[in-house]
Amino acid sequence: MVSLNKNILRTILIASYIMIVALIISGLSALFSYLNTGADRSTMLHTEIKKVDQYAPKMVWEPLQNEGRPMDDQTLNAIQHDYLDAWYVKQIAYKSNKTAGIKDYYTDSARENLFAFIDLNKAQDISIEATTLSHNPTLEYFSQDGQLAVITDRNVIEYKRVYKAKALIHETTETSTYQMVFLLEDGFWRIRHLVKDSADIYNNESQQINVDSLNIKGINYYPQANPWDMFGDEFSTDTIAKDFKIIKDAGLNSVRLFVQYEDFGKEHVDAKKIEKLKRTLDVAEANQLNVVLTLFDFFGDYSIMNWTLNQRHAEAIVNAVKDHKALLAWDIKNEPNLDFESRGQDNVIAWLDNMIDLVKATDSIHPVTIGWSNTQSATILKDKVDFISFHYYENLENLDAAVSALKTEIPNKPLVLQEFGLSSYSGFWKPFGSSEEDQANYHKKIQEQIAANNLQFMSWTLYDFTEVPTAVVGRRPWRRNTQKHFGFIDKNGAKKPAFKYISN
Amino acid sequence: MQIKRTYLLLLGLMLLSSFAVVQHTKVASTEITLISTQTKFEVGQPIVLRFSTSNDVPLDLYCSNSYGSTVISSSLKNNTLEFVIPENITKKIGTVNWTLLDNSKSLSGKLNILPKPEVATMETYIGPPSIEAGGKDYTTLVVIPTDSLDNPVPTHTLVDAKFQFLNSEEGFDIYTKNLIAYRNIYSKRESGRMLVSSESLGINSKEFTINVMPSIPTDFKISVTRPHDYADGNQVTTLWTTTIKDKQNNVVSDGTFVTFFITNGKGNILKTTGTTIDGIANSKIIHPDFADKWSIKAYVDGMSESNSISISYKQVVKDFDVEFSEHNRQISIGPLQSFMGQMIPDGLHIKLHIYQDNALITTLTKTSFNGYTSFKLKPAIYKNGSYNFKIETAGLSKEFKSIKLW
Repeated sequence: MVSLNKNILRTILIASYIMIVALIISGLSALFSYLNTGADRSTMLHTEIKKVDQYAPKMVWEPLQNEGRPMDDQTLNAIQHDYLDAWYVKQIAYKSNKTAGIKDYYTDSARENLFAFIDLNKAQDISIEATTLSHNPTLEYFSQDGQLAVITDRNVIEYKRVYKAKALIHETTETSTYQMVFLLEDGFWRIRHLVKDSADIYNNESQQINVDSLNIKGINYYPQANPWDMFGDEFSTDTIAKDFKIIKDAGLNSVRLFVQYEDFGKEHVDAKKIEKLKRTLDVAEANQLNVVLTLFDFFGDYSIMNWTLNQRHAEAIVNAVKDHKALLAWDIKNEPNLDFESRGQDNVIAWLDNMIDLVKATDSIHPVTIGWSNTQSATILKDKVDFISFHYYENLENLDAAVSALKTEIPNKPLVLQEFGLSSYSGFWKPFGSSEEDQANYHKKIQEQIAANNLQFMSWTLYDFTEVPTAVVGRRPWRRNTQKHFGFIDKNGAKKPAFKYISN
Repeated sequence: MQIKRTYLLLLGLMLLSSFAVVQHTKVASTEITLISTQTKFEVGQPIVLRFSTSNDVPLDLYCSNSYGSTVISSSLKNNTLEFVIPENITKKIGTVNWTLLDNSKSLSGKLNILPKPEVATMETYIGPPSIEAGGKDYTTLVVIPTDSLDNPVPTHTLVDAKFQFLNSEEGFDIYTKNLIAYRNIYSKRESGRMLVSSESLGINSKEFTINVMPSIPTDFKISVTRPHDYADGNQVTTLWTTTIKDKQNNVVSDGTFVTFFITNGKGNILKTTGTTIDGIANSKIIHPDFADKWSIKAYVDGMSESNSISISYKQVVKDFDVEFSEHNRQISIGPLQSFMGQMIPDGLHIKLHIYQDNALITTLTKTSFNGYTSFKLKPAIYKNGSYNFKIETAGLSKEFKSIKLW
């Protein structure tokens, strides 16, 4: 008995000893590995430099017929890259009146000219925000030793905003031709001489597109399960096909879809998303529905320095689907007037104006509109868009007056009531909200008004949603819950009374 | 309260509208016209834009040139708005576009600042700095004549490009186009240094040098020199090339690398290399120590080759004596005598192969000293017994069978 107890005691002692040693070792090794973590030594070499696109205006090189040495793609790419960087640092320098970056892209004597402007503007508190939207460079000459190049860049479209004492005093778009001598110095193609050969004020007379045949009776569409994330992982053409059939059977002829800026990959548009978008359009075509495609959803940065990137995004998407039969129109931006306060009305309008030019230059067939959130803003850029779209969530009693006011201002363009609806939410967060009957009455009434005013329409929306991302209406529960109940079909798939008045 | 607010609002609106009206009338009545008629200026000339105005409101003028944009404030004198274009704009050539920043912004225009036919510096770029003779390869001279304000000169300005090479001095008239003037300079048949300079409107550039390198070597011949033709393993044979030239008869560049390949009688390859000086490369190799016949050919890798020559070496050691002593453990070899009977110079290799039971145990190698050498077989290593020995030197060999060591 005694020896058994002793053995137990021994076992416990030895086991605890082993445990303690194991703990100490693991502790020390954790400490050791902690001290060994940190920057990977290979990063000291800076072997990997990630290229970030900051400036991507449309670049169309004239066919290479230069004098001197034949040009190769790699060198031409290097020149283009440094040339655009030269513009970029110049724009930044004139915006901030600081000289950072200039010396990399302008030679010793050329940079003096930029510094002189910076000094002059700084002294008078002038700053210039500018970007270039399009370049058509021609390589004139490339030297035998590959160290010197002469380029003529014709019809550079430059957009500029001039501020004096922080106040905008001038906004202009110019088209200019520049001739430049580049020298290869320290691995940079630097501008040595820069001569503006001609300059004119740019007047883009964009072509108006005939919209006589436009007859939109439609609805804003998001799938019920994944609203505001239509082209994400849960993308399913089956669901969309089922929904489009419901829409078609309800007597509607079009849907409004949204392309989200970041989701689609910003300036490098994701080919997979494009594929999903095309498949959606295929489904729409199969169901004889037309699609109004709203670009730049969840986008709020109108800063001039990023215009070129925004334009590459739009260009890629427009190019990808402009030949699709289901496409009806481009909606440049959903409710941009809501950004007037935070981003500056001038900025937003200038951005829209130039974006319309880009979309029209890329696709000359489909009409363009902007989805204004109210009737007051709908007159903005009325001469640029092909038809007018506005949203209306206010009191129906004032709709007729608002529409007739709009019609007197814009007599010659179709008006599309692009979003309207009533939430049937009435509950804890909104005790005196509307009921489903109220919603049905609303749609009945508004359809009468639409018919009376000869409007085209797209209602909001097919489904009640169970989830609404905070980015849509914010975090406040009374707003999120309201947003969940705008549908004609409730979350269980049953048609609400309003469904009867989905079309006229 | 409500009434008061409405009243205030109304009052405010009236005030505002009256402002609007006033402004409107102002614009309508303000006749601003451009007085200045000159639109072409020579670079560096001061520029003042004048507008006549019917009121005394100072205005700003936006203007933009090749490098940047700015806003200029006016000075007002006798109903004339004066804008002095800043010096940094007037001193750069190119188009200057301007817009008067009044309410309508309808007045805008362009000025052309023209380059002046004056050269202050000859910005010269030349490259590549060395080219190949033969008339196919070329270098390019690019000249950007610039004025004192660092502007390129007008298009079609004459530049005289001047080249000196050997006995010739040439000049070419080239004209500026796209801001630059350039000329391709082709090599001639000869190699050498070419001096380049240029001149425009009386201003000369610096002197630039182009190296015209000989082009690739053509085939050449080789020869050998040696003190004697004996295979004594001691003297050195020198291999020479003739003067290696390119196809234009220019001596190839110093340092052209020549490899001599020597194939000996057994088919083994020996290799030695040299670099050219004044077109001739040489390389040295020690004589073999046994009679042999070498066939030699030289190459400039990948470019040219020589003829093949062959040379032979005569045997010098005709025979040698071997003497066993001290229980046959001391093996003395010698005298080893050269062609005149003289002792062979120190360092001739002698090999001793030791066999036991017809199996090679070891090979010992020694070099001769004063014509002799000896091997000592230690009892601790080579146990008593019967051994076979084979001794090789200078291509000769001798065998001794069943030698007892004890």
